[in-house]
Amino acid sequence: MASECGEAAAIDPRVVPLADIDLGDERFRITTQRESGDLQASIRRFGLRTPPLVTPVGAGFIIVNGFRRVSACREMGWKSTPARVLPTASAYECALTAVAENSLERPLNLIETSRALNLLEQTAPEGRIPDADASALGLPTHPSVAVRLKLLCRMPVDVQDGVLDGTISFAMACELSRLEEDLGIAFASLFRRLKPSLNKQREIVSLVSEIAGRENVDPRQVLEECGLTQVIGSPGTDRNQQIHGIRRQLRLRRFPSLAAAEHNFFVLRQRLKLGAALQLAPPRDFEGTGFTLALSFQTIEEVVHLRAKLDELIDHPDFKTLLTGKGRGFEKALDS
Amino acid sequence: MKIAELYVDAQLAGRPEAEAASRRFKVPIQTVGSAQEVYASVAAAKDPIGRGKHVLYLTRNRGAFIKSCPGTHHYTCCGYKILHIGTFCSMDCSYCILQSYFHPPVLQYFLNHDEMDQELEQLFATRAIHRLGTGEFTDSLIWEPWTHLSERLIRKFAGQDGCVLELKTKTAWVDSLLDLPHRRRTILAWSLNTDEVIRTDERGTTSLDARLKAAARGADHGYPLAFHFDPIVIADGCEADYRRTVERLFAAVDPRHIVWISLGALRFMPELKTVIRQRFKHSRIVYGEFIGGLDGKMRYFKPLRMRAYRDIAAAIRAVAPGICIYLCMEDDEVWEHALGFQPAQRGGLSRMLDEAAVRQCHLSSGR
Repeated sequence: MASECGEAAAIDPRVVPLADIDLGDERFRITTQRESGDLQASIRRFGLRTPPLVTPVGAGFIIVNGFRRVSACREMGWKSTPARVLPTASAYECALTAVAENSLERPLNLIETSRALNLLEQTAPEGRIPDADASALGLPTHPSVAVRLKLLCRMPVDVQDGVLDGTISFAMACELSRLEEDLGIAFASLFRRLKPSLNKQREIVSLVSEIAGRENVDPRQVLEECGLTQVIGSPGTDRNQQIHGIRRQLRLRRFPSLAAAEHNFFVLRQRLKLGAALQLAPPRDFEGTGFTLALSFQTIEEVVHLRAKLDELIDHPDFKTLLTGKGRGFEKALDS
Repeated sequence: MKIAELYVDAQLAGRPEAEAASRRFKVPIQTVGSAQEVYASVAAAKDPIGRGKHVLYLTRNRGAFIKSCPGTHHYTCCGYKILHIGTFCSMDCSYCILQSYFHPPVLQYFLNHDEMDQELEQLFATRAIHRLGTGEFTDSLIWEPWTHLSERLIRKFAGQDGCVLELKTKTAWVDSLLDLPHRRRTILAWSLNTDEVIRTDERGTTSLDARLKAAARGADHGYPLAFHFDPIVIADGCEADYRRTVERLFAAVDPRHIVWISLGALRFMPELKTVIRQRFKHSRIVYGEFIGGLDGKMRYFKPLRMRAYRDIAAAIRAVAPGICIYLCMEDDEVWEHALGFQPAQRGGLSRMLDEAAVRQCHLSSGR
């Protein structure tokens, strides 16, 4: 295929009327960038250094590479443009050239990579991109990666935008692709607005889906009831606080007994008035029976003070409740 | 059991068991040089776990037939011994650990019974009390319709006085066992659950009524019985459902025939969650309030387990106050809260169960 493309390099440089170029035909579009303002300034100062690549279709042309350049020329009021005309090339040759000119000029982002893979696969003679071509173009050849990447450019625009602005990772986009479209959009909007880390995004998606599964309700209803859709529509308030609030709400609903036990423990611990130098931690998820008591000090005097504090602690009824009382601090969870 | 492919280890080609299986399942024998060929066939399926339930591989057990139950750290184990007769199961329970325990899972049935007999003889010769079961890596009775393994084992155990065999099942296939001379050295045991859990999460198993009827028939023929409320699935309203299950148990079976009843709440390795969600789309069991246990398994939040155990144990004790109830893989705190004592106060769980076996199965140790 590479040699055929080499033949296709017999490109015909011409001046083409802009009216003859169908800017609406985006079948070979790889770039995700739409704005051409910066390009106009460059063309005005340095001229059109690399003419767009077009191929004849019917009485006119379609763009193989250079969508933004054609757009910039039109917006600057040009009537015609120098162009490189790729004569009578197959769709796959055009696709290879489009991907090659983009990927060799700059690294493709994830959506562009997805478009490139889809374009090549759709036009490849046997519906399968030869590994040698994908590899030469710097595209992934591992089948499972390619399959997941190809999904990206078919996902809702909100998700794609999230991927482009870095708020939604490839891994999360793949998770969202498994959801119903409007649910995926709702999560994407939430994540784009609050920018939680990937782990927190995963936690939110998983909690919503598990609450919905357990309660046999639509996940969108969970989003609604936990106020997540209100967050999407309300600007202001610190986003970290909002993320914390959402996770707390979801966790309360997903793990009501555990959350109640934690709350009960915190209330009892607060009543102990331990101060900053003494820290008491429960066993993880209250599963084990070992508590952790950490002491912070710098001087002997502080240790003496801590000793007195420990003596007080040992006699405190709430401390006994935590360690040996019925239900070891989670009696409310038992009674609930 | 419906078998679509029957593989036989090349070293065992021509064995009558292979011919019998071929006739029974109406499938040709495919002789293979290694297990890898079988695994490759199963792994290539869209649902290897589902496929593995229809692929039978007759082979040799290349390891030990008698193994100690692996147990887990931090939780009290009962000191059981596994008699490893085969792997996997033709029934399809959502929570089944075997789905992720074998890679890929496949129905394997071991034919080198002479070696198994030798190991059993060595164990019998110790003249100590041992409890063994075949229901750890498979269901004990799924093999019953086309093998005579249980008959062989029941007769073998009947010939000694220190060991008891527990056949644990979710089937009702006891017909061929009833008239065997068991001498109470074999316990017929059933896993019990609520109708709801059986319906949603135990595909292809028999109903609760069928299990209890089979148990009652076993008791009529003098077999000691055991029941395992395991896994207990905790959900809204489950306490009432389990109480009803207990009522139905005692309506069908006189408690005097029961050696022990175990309680164990659902627990699973984290990777099983994905399998359950993929293979059992309508199951809700993974949506319980699980936390990471000290053994790495997902377990219900401790107070929830305590409450469920306490309720079920109370329902059992209301009818059968003296019955031996034990918890499967729980710590002292849970024991104390649920049953009112810790195993160490009664000499340890292993001893508790040994004593129950001695009492009910008339075992005697030579030591």
